[in-house]
Amino acid sequence: MKSKVLMGFAAIVMVALMSACGKLPQAQIDEANAAIEAAKAAEAEVYVPADFAALQDSMRAVNAYIESQKSKLFKKYGPAVEDLKAVVTLANTVKENAAARKDEVKKEVETLMTDIKAVIDETSKLFAKAPKGKEGKAALDQMKAEMETVNAAVTEAQSKYDSGAYMDALNKVKAAKETVDRINGELKEAIKKAGGRI
Amino acid sequence: MGKKIIRIILALLTSAVIVVLVIFLAVKITPEPPYQEIKTAIHSISAASAKQASVYSRKLYSEAENALDSAMAVWKRENKKFIFMRNYEKVLEYARLADKKAREAASLSVQNSNDLEHRLGLKIKSLEETKNKIDEFFGKYPLESETRTRLSKGKLMLKEAEIAYEKKQLLQANKKLNDAEYLLNSVYENTLSDIKTWFASLSTWKKWVDNAITESGKRKSYLIVIDKFAHKFYLYYAGKLKYEFDAELGKNWTGDKRIKGDKATPEGRYKIIKKLQGRATRWYKSLAIDYPNSEDVERFMKEKASGTISSAANIGGGIEIHGGGGKNTDWTDGCIALTNKNMDIIYPIVQIGTPVVIVGSLRSLDEIMNEN
Repeated sequence: MKSKVLMGFAAIVMVALMSACGKLPQAQIDEANAAIEAAKAAEAEVYVPADFAALQDSMRAVNAYIESQKSKLFKKYGPAVEDLKAVVTLANTVKENAAARKDEVKKEVETLMTDIKAVIDETSKLFAKAPKGKEGKAALDQMKAEMETVNAAVTEAQSKYDSGAYMDALNKVKAAKETVDRINGELKEAIKKAGGRI
Repeated sequence: MGKKIIRIILALLTSAVIVVLVIFLAVKITPEPPYQEIKTAIHSISAASAKQASVYSRKLYSEAENALDSAMAVWKRENKKFIFMRNYEKVLEYARLADKKAREAASLSVQNSNDLEHRLGLKIKSLEETKNKIDEFFGKYPLESETRTRLSKGKLMLKEAEIAYEKKQLLQANKKLNDAEYLLNSVYENTLSDIKTWFASLSTWKKWVDNAITESGKRKSYLIVIDKFAHKFYLYYAGKLKYEFDAELGKNWTGDKRIKGDKATPEGRYKIIKKLQGRATRWYKSLAIDYPNSEDVERFMKEKASGTISSAANIGGGIEIHGGGGKNTDWTDGCIALTNKNMDIIYPIVQIGTPVVIVGSLRSLDEIMNEN
């Protein structure tokens, strides 16, 4: 009778040992996934792609570790909990970096937009003062056509800016700005050469 | 009592040994989780991602990711089974596949991005050359407004591509370059094709001028030759070139004049029919030519009959060589404008009846292009 009791006790100890070795840190997993989603929502993939990829890799590694513990008789989730905390911290940093970079790009686009509008205004006025120049009417016609294209590009960039696609707007407005700067420079030089006042 | 205690101790020891043995056996027969292989696959995917394999070796990278996802899914499924019933063979297979694909993706990505960067660099250089050729060669050419718009768009696309290229955004650069290439090449080729069609009359133009110079030599008379493409006015006497001036033409100076108001300068063999100066002309001094001559009228009638020009169209007239030039642009309605100073030189020596040969060019397109 006694030995049966003892056997039962041993079995209970074994089961307790097997089952109580670790509890899946579901709350921490959910928190980490939510933090990653928040980083994604902050467009980390667009504005800090390398950081976001590193974040995803960290989460993959944690998931693999958790799965490896699930495979074991004695589960040990302690290190995973620590890693998940690190993922949350990293995700928050990535989110902040993405927001900061986005803001930086946004401001860069805003500055370029302000600058380009001023240069477009100035250049439009220069056309009236421009001599026909060495290449004559054809060259001026080409410059005017380019100004129309620049205006269309600015409108397109503005629409991308309005929809929050700052990265897309940036290259467009940069190219437009370089073009209008060139035209402005050429016109000023032509006016100067012809002895006109700018 | 002592025996009882010993028995209890022995029973406890036996139980402990049994428990340890059971645990030992359980651990021993539990299959080894494929953690290392999965970690290796994750590391390889991470390395591939750092080399932008998701961009430059998308297919392989995606295959690696899919294989890893499959490995994880199978692993999770196996983990739900009773511990001794688990089999990680499939997990290992997928993990190894993910690792292999990721390594291949990383290597291919480096190769692809290097190749693409090199190709784009060459393409940018080539399109810059095309753009410069258009600017140099067609700078004075009266392009149609639609062509100018295409040219402007092409230039802007090229600029956007260059900006993306500098930022190593190679796929965006590639897309913009393809658009720029289409626009710039179409402008270049279409314009060149138009000019080639126009230059098909080169041998006729040369014949007109050669014959007229020979005639001028024989008759010891003056001859005016206008080279429209070169924007030059030549005055010959007795077959010898005496003066060469810059000439300004009609706004649409390429091609022959067809109808009134087309602002084209006619091509053909004409003569001076009237000399005007002072209040008799708006343009300081003028030498009117006999446009339209019989050949012009014949061509005009043929075109009208064939419907290539409107039945209501008028052939036009009033073409002159006149002053008021020096604007460095083609601004007339079809006349040839010289500076007043140059008009002063030619006006006294050119007489009524002096032949005027107006041609598209005296040089072949190849000569002109090679010079540029």
